[in-house]
Amino acid sequence: MSFDAETASSETVIIHVGEALDFRNADDFKATFQEHVDEGIRQFILDFSDTEVLDSTGLGSIFSLYRAVSPDDGKVAFADVSEPVQVVVQLTRTYKVFRQFPSVEAAREAFAG
Amino acid sequence: MESLTKTYTDLDRAINEVRSLSEEWPASSEIVTLDDETLHCTCLVLHEWIANLHQHARFQKNTPMVKIQLTCEAGRVACFVLDNSDGFDLTSYLPADDEDLEPFPERGMGLRIIETCTDELSYAPTEDGLHCFEFIIPADHDPWMNTLF
Repeated sequence: MSFDAETASSETVIIHVGEALDFRNADDFKATFQEHVDEGIRQFILDFSDTEVLDSTGLGSIFSLYRAVSPDDGKVAFADVSEPVQVVVQLTRTYKVFRQFPSVEAAREAFAG
Repeated sequence: MESLTKTYTDLDRAINEVRSLSEEWPASSEIVTLDDETLHCTCLVLHEWIANLHQHARFQKNTPMVKIQLTCEAGRVACFVLDNSDGFDLTSYLPADDEDLEPFPERGMGLRIIETCTDELSYAPTEDGLHCFEFIIPADHDPWMNTLF
């Protein structure tokens, strides 16, 4: 399954995570973000509005994205985080690393400003 | 006490349906009501466990089977998952208390998440040749992992 990626600006890409990011599609997620990292994108907004499952392997693939962009002061933001994803965020305290926004639009404005 | 029992012979289907168990599971009744966070935690632990079986367990020539039973008791969820794999020694795979993860790990968080979310965790053979994973999640649990960053 490929992920829906939307170019928000010359510096920012929004990835709509969809229903699940887990061990079965984490490699597809990595292939999706890597394509944009290779093009020079260093700001990513992850849209979790429809996400029912984020498992440990899915979270690991997000860490992989963070490791890819952080050496260049890149950013990864979580937007419109669903309840099941929020449980994982709280459990792993990833809110310390990934800034959260109530909506994709709010994240886009923050990155633009 | 409210229980839900499900049996699957397709692990992908089991994983897909686990995410919605909370919708059909009568976790709210006149006797007990569980909060959404506890329900999501339960679904996450079940997902991680069955994903673990899917990726690492050996089922020999058997069609993989898992039987899930969830019981909602006062202030906690009790759960078991039976499977027909060869099983393994869970304790040998659980991280030691003083074992730190590398920062931003890509793998190796599944069992840590399970251990962090649960109480009274066990995985042992049964008398009829299956293996049984059992755990409890107290409703007042506020779990968090401290080794990722």
